[in-house]
Amino acid sequence: MSEVRIEHVFKRFGSVTAVNDFNLVVKDGEFVSILGPSGCGKTTTLRMIAGFERATEGEIYIGEQCVSSSLKGSFAPPEKRDIGMVFQSYAVWPHMTVAENVGYPLKIQKVEKSERERRVQEMLELVHLGEYGKRYPNQLSGGQQQRVALARALVAQPGLLLLDEPLSNLDAKLRESMRFEILEIQKKTGITVVYVTHDQSEAMAMSDRVVVMSMGVVQQIGAPHEIYTQPANKMVADFIGLVNFMDGEAKGDRVFLKGTNVSFPNTNNIVGEATVAVRPENITMSLNGGQIEGQLTHRFYLGDAIDYRVQVGEHIVRVIVKGADIDAIPDGSKVYLDFDRVMTFEK
Amino acid sequence: MLSRINSKTIVISLSVLLLLYFVIFPMGILLFDSVVKDGAINFENYRNVYSADVNWKALTNTVELSLMVMIASVIITFPLAWLVGRTDMPGKKGFRTLLVSSYMIPPYVGAIAWVQLLNPSVGYLNNIFKWMFGLETAPFDIYTFWGLAWVLMLFYSPFAFITISRAMEKMDPTLEEAARVSGASPMRTVLDVTLPLMAPSILAGGLLVFIAAGSCFGIPSIVGMPGNIEVMTTRIVTYIYMGDDAGVRDSTALAASLMFIANFLLMGMTWMMGRKDYTTISGKSTRPNIVELGKWKWPAVFAVSLYGAIAVVIPLASIVLTSFLKSMSKPIEWSNIGIEPWIPVITSAQYMESVWNSVVYGVIAATIGTLLSLFVAYLAVKTQFKGRSIPDLLVVIGGSTPSIVIALALIITFSGNFGLNMYSTMWIIIVSYLVKYMTMSVRTIAAALSQVHISLEEAALNSGANWLRCCKDIIIPLVAPSVIAGWFLIFMPSFYELTMSLLLYGSDTKTIGVLLYELQTYADTQNASVLSVIILMIVLIGNLILNKVSKGNVGI
Repeated sequence: MSEVRIEHVFKRFGSVTAVNDFNLVVKDGEFVSILGPSGCGKTTTLRMIAGFERATEGEIYIGEQCVSSSLKGSFAPPEKRDIGMVFQSYAVWPHMTVAENVGYPLKIQKVEKSERERRVQEMLELVHLGEYGKRYPNQLSGGQQQRVALARALVAQPGLLLLDEPLSNLDAKLRESMRFEILEIQKKTGITVVYVTHDQSEAMAMSDRVVVMSMGVVQQIGAPHEIYTQPANKMVADFIGLVNFMDGEAKGDRVFLKGTNVSFPNTNNIVGEATVAVRPENITMSLNGGQIEGQLTHRFYLGDAIDYRVQVGEHIVRVIVKGADIDAIPDGSKVYLDFDRVMTFEK
Repeated sequence: MLSRINSKTIVISLSVLLLLYFVIFPMGILLFDSVVKDGAINFENYRNVYSADVNWKALTNTVELSLMVMIASVIITFPLAWLVGRTDMPGKKGFRTLLVSSYMIPPYVGAIAWVQLLNPSVGYLNNIFKWMFGLETAPFDIYTFWGLAWVLMLFYSPFAFITISRAMEKMDPTLEEAARVSGASPMRTVLDVTLPLMAPSILAGGLLVFIAAGSCFGIPSIVGMPGNIEVMTTRIVTYIYMGDDAGVRDSTALAASLMFIANFLLMGMTWMMGRKDYTTISGKSTRPNIVELGKWKWPAVFAVSLYGAIAVVIPLASIVLTSFLKSMSKPIEWSNIGIEPWIPVITSAQYMESVWNSVVYGVIAATIGTLLSLFVAYLAVKTQFKGRSIPDLLVVIGGSTPSIVIALALIITFSGNFGLNMYSTMWIIIVSYLVKYMTMSVRTIAAALSQVHISLEEAALNSGANWLRCCKDIIIPLVAPSVIAGWFLIFMPSFYELTMSLLLYGSDTKTIGVLLYELQTYADTQNASVLSVIILMIVLIGNLILNKVSKGNVGI
């Protein structure tokens, strides 16, 4: 299996910089997701690793092989990179049977026929499609087609598996179960995976590490819990999970909520104007007193929780309370909020 | 509610009856006449006709020519479509317009141009080649089998180009990328994935060319007949021109054969396209793989420019140049060029009457046809009636029938034998245009209608409008651009139509196509060129409007 090294990679389309100084080492056998809103450069990055786009600058290594180098001017085409890839649109060939689809990489490698059939069958069993070899793709469901694509990507035992939003065409239930199937297959094969998605829960649930991108720039690289609890900046905090932002002011090692004497630790050594961020589930609300005073304006019933809107000064603060009673606090009530796990950022 | 159902049912059943009467009934009569003699079914007509060597030769000529034109068109247009659609060749957009634009040149105008260029005595290109290589005799003769194949290929290959490049654009590029990551080289990817996936479209495009080339009359009559190269269409016209019963009877057998060949192939094509479900779910639109041509960039530009020049620029230039030559017998130089040749044409009452006739018939056909298309498309797209797509099918049958067959069927049906006598009137010409050219208009309007959600219509009915009112206030305004596009899609081919007009015109109903054909056969090249340029200008203006209205989505 292969380690992937991406060093100072840039991609420019005319005057637009789609990917700006991307650096990443994916360890052998690691599962890394690249996460970001659409147009952030994540797919372009993946396509540069695959060899469908040529990096304007920088070096990409897959295992020992330097597949793309602007310095040496070298560039290996996709077929020379020892990779498997799964596409959002499945890209299963409609004119070939399932077995022919899966066996195609082996056919290119001129693997002898009986050996090929054995390995195709083995792969089909792995993705739970053992009985489907003779069918044509149009006889399969979307989820099954995506499993064919996965089997095809893995059959030649490549060192690296690239997945480009593989689950976003599937319905919600199937998407969740496919997450675990992909993870299980990755564990069994031990393959290195780079996974591109815009779905944060997908990235969190599946990855060893997550790369958060925005506007072509890497914002943060870290384990899912790090990204969630210690976001590097406002963008990451906003993109992952729900968050309230409020104006604040840094004074020494404390950040004060604007217009109050409530303060929080200045973790990022901010000077002057600051942003105070707190997640809705990290706020406790009571009628009897606490850090911050506010007025309850709206309540939304979510089933397992209540989603409140509380007016605090000029801000509307969102508070989510699990298992609360919707009738306990009526609209208009004066309430008190306590913030926990507060994050502070530059304004 | 009652009035809604009534007006809707009446309008729609009227459309169906009209189509049955003017499309299916005449073709039925034609078939009937071809196999019935003295009240009994027999195939004597066919035996008679095909026992004559000239007819048998015409049949084999037609098949050989169409086959050759089909194969050549596919071989030439596949790389062209690929270069224009999938590479970084400079000027792709302009080239695409250039390559489809021979589609809007009337075929017989193209034929006239190539006769000017390559006739063995005074062809412009032949003269240039003689001078360049010091030849004694002209190197090319257009009046041959190969000359005919050449002109047919140039004017019908856009059918293949359009079909193939549309399929290329629609193909999900990740299907090819999946082959690349599976280890296949770019060449291997084309062989294993691109070509097999496109095979149905390539064949369909080829068959369209085959049918069009085989049904064409204008080009074979101008390029083939002088060299005694006969095809089915020219034989049919010759028989009809004999004017007697025997001639018409023989022509029905030939026309029925032609109709069978065309429809048989069309059915084959439909089957081919529907055989495998090649639709794939495509995700976010990744940019199609644009192949970098590298050092082949400029050779590619040169090759495509050369083809564009041969197919479009040179023939058009020849026609325009000839139309401004003061004297055909003098050499081409500035003193011999002027507006003079145009004066007698523009001031001739006889010529201008034909131009006017064509405009009037085109406008009437387009207006009736658009209305009818609207109802047919509405029925097929927006209603749940059983058999709602039958009118659509009738229109398609009309459109896919060779022009010459339609004309003959109308002659034998509407000359008074079955109640209605339209012979020699403008109406029989207009009916023929409607039968032949409504398909494209129905397609265009149906596509637009399917975008109008049923709830918009229901909201109008809820507000108290009846169905006709709802059509006028809601549906037509929403699909207006397509309706206008549909109007031009009938008007333009009707305006320059030749084949059917030639068989159906009377002394007062001569059209511009017929006039041009006569001038060409009387060897009046000069006036023919002037008239051709007039036709081309009107078609060009029509196309510009069409392009503007449909935002570049529809064109002839």
